[in-house]
Amino acid sequence: MTFTLRARNMLTGAAAIAVAALALAGCAAPPAAQTDFTGWDQVTAAAQGQTVRLWMYGGDEQANSYVDNTLTPAAAKEGVTLQRVPVADTKDALNRVLTEVQAGTREGGVDLVWVNGDNFGTGKQAGAWWCGWTPMLPNMKLTAPSDPLLANDFGTPVEGCEAPWSKAQFSFAYNSATVTDPPKTLAGLLDWARTHPGRFTYPAPPDFTGSVFTRQVLYSVSGGYTNVPLGFDRASFDRLTPALFDTLTGLAPSLWREGKTYPKTSGELNALFAGGQVDFTMTYGPATLTKLVADGTYPAATKVLTLDEGTVGNASFLAIPSTSGHQAGAMVVANLALSPEQQAAKADPRVWGQFPVLDPAALSAPQRAMFDALPPSPVVPAYDVLSKSANPELSAAWVPELDEAWRRQILTGR
Amino acid sequence: MTAPAVLMASFVVLGGLLTAAAQSLGLLPLAGSPSLTLGAYTAVAPDLPAAIGLSLAIASASTIAASVVGFTAALVMVQGRWCGRVVAAVSTLTIPFPHIVGAASVGLLLSDSGLLSRLTGAGEAWPRLVGGPWWIAVIADYSWKESAFVALVVTGALITRSTGYDETAALLGAGRIRRIRHVLVPLSLPALTVSATIVFVYTFGSYEVAWLLGRPYPEPLPVMALRVFGSASLTSRPEAAALAMVTTIVSFGAATAAFALLRRIPLWR
Repeated sequence: MTFTLRARNMLTGAAAIAVAALALAGCAAPPAAQTDFTGWDQVTAAAQGQTVRLWMYGGDEQANSYVDNTLTPAAAKEGVTLQRVPVADTKDALNRVLTEVQAGTREGGVDLVWVNGDNFGTGKQAGAWWCGWTPMLPNMKLTAPSDPLLANDFGTPVEGCEAPWSKAQFSFAYNSATVTDPPKTLAGLLDWARTHPGRFTYPAPPDFTGSVFTRQVLYSVSGGYTNVPLGFDRASFDRLTPALFDTLTGLAPSLWREGKTYPKTSGELNALFAGGQVDFTMTYGPATLTKLVADGTYPAATKVLTLDEGTVGNASFLAIPSTSGHQAGAMVVANLALSPEQQAAKADPRVWGQFPVLDPAALSAPQRAMFDALPPSPVVPAYDVLSKSANPELSAAWVPELDEAWRRQILTGR
Repeated sequence: MTAPAVLMASFVVLGGLLTAAAQSLGLLPLAGSPSLTLGAYTAVAPDLPAAIGLSLAIASASTIAASVVGFTAALVMVQGRWCGRVVAAVSTLTIPFPHIVGAASVGLLLSDSGLLSRLTGAGEAWPRLVGGPWWIAVIADYSWKESAFVALVVTGALITRSTGYDETAALLGAGRIRRIRHVLVPLSLPALTVSATIVFVYTFGSYEVAWLLGRPYPEPLPVMALRVFGSASLTSRPEAAALAMVTTIVSFGAATAAFALLRRIPLWR
């Protein structure tokens, strides 16, 4: 009797598990929602009263206060409620959208994502983004269609799947009180690190900043970015990366803590720099340096290092997930973020200091005057100085490959 | 009476486990068609020994430290003198702090340019507690937080029945050490075993403390699982689910071993 009972229970359990597994396996990704707007007026009408949740990296205080105090009130005037959702890493937002795509959600929790690079490329592959909407934005006319930074995002064609928001330039900052002989090239920077043991380090990839540092070193050891194919192929990877990893392995003993460990995030590296434990830090958002020096977080003598061969530059974008139910509201916010007023407010170093994506030639004289009136920063050179001979970003496919190889060879090899 | 609670809990637990299992076996791919494969497990296999070993080491060290400190604190509390009340108050205050707040505080206290390093003026001589090779800050945080939990559980078990036995033993001439050995330890053993198991399973599967205060390599299982989960390649999710399944299996193993141990304790029966 007990046996039959147990057998029946087991059968019921097995059946339940089978049903659940079938139900789970049945959640195939739906096609991206097709919303047909015929004109911009229709979009603004549909956007009235919508709430747009903007998921963005929350570790940048100036970014948070710009969105909360400048962009959100402006969106409210257009009839859209903007809510900022801070995430520790943009990957978290992408993961949320990918999970929603898997579940077939049509009214997802993410309406807008501040994104670029491999997150954009991965999402595009998986159908996470709504595409083809940016030509509808009136303010897209103020950007240069030929601008390579806006046409391709880390080698992934943008194809109207995201609207440009800011430009960024990878930069090194150093304490000029302790670094009396600042290097002029990346090779010189590595030499400086070798002659000053323990005073330099970089965040461990896959941290965004550590990852771009390894690409910058790859350009340097390959004799310039022109020698590295932007598209990923295994043969080039195998040909070019041994020099990179030999260099970084040789550099390791001269790094902070003899290179036995690395800061896990750019935030940890910044803390080391602020605490005087290293003399260099690096950032993809040099605009934040002005405020960090002004409030005493960073040494007063902090300066930006300009390299002869230039550094990697990119643009960051706003993308609308295919699972969002508030596409009209999200489009209104993306268009607003592109307006000359918002771009100029965002470019003010006292606000956020992000470099604008607009084409000066497409602006009217009063609009240009707004940008000309911005105060210069005592720490950060102007964008045209910083972005001189800017290096392009490698295609997104390079990023996980380099990060993984770095883990295998540098981190686990010691 | 308990049916609704069990139903809710098993829905959450089983649902999560089934989803993770299905993902790890390739049945829920982000791109492409579902097919049953063990590829995710073979892909993470080379990293598993180091990750499992490190997670077990951190969890064991934290559990032993938390149990010893917690049991000692419980003995002080049961004595009921004023210092017992102080210890009880401190333990009760420790519990509601979220782990991430505790970890951040421990970081600010123990890091290289942290508060203690500055107060002592140690500078370069300060030991590498945060992000160092021995994971000291991580273990310290777990030991501190979890010892309060152990202390409260064990005190709850002792306070109801220890007094009578303790006084009887004292009247029969047992000294303090013998009373602890023959009365307090046997009485608190079931509660201590259960709470230590909870601490072990929790620290084994916990992410934020190890991530905040640890180093990038080697990685504990949960940290590795979340890193792989967030990786930008579409193939990584099954691998993250496989790591989560391995974490679950080891935790279940620890819980099973603890129950086998409990069955041998006379009081538990």
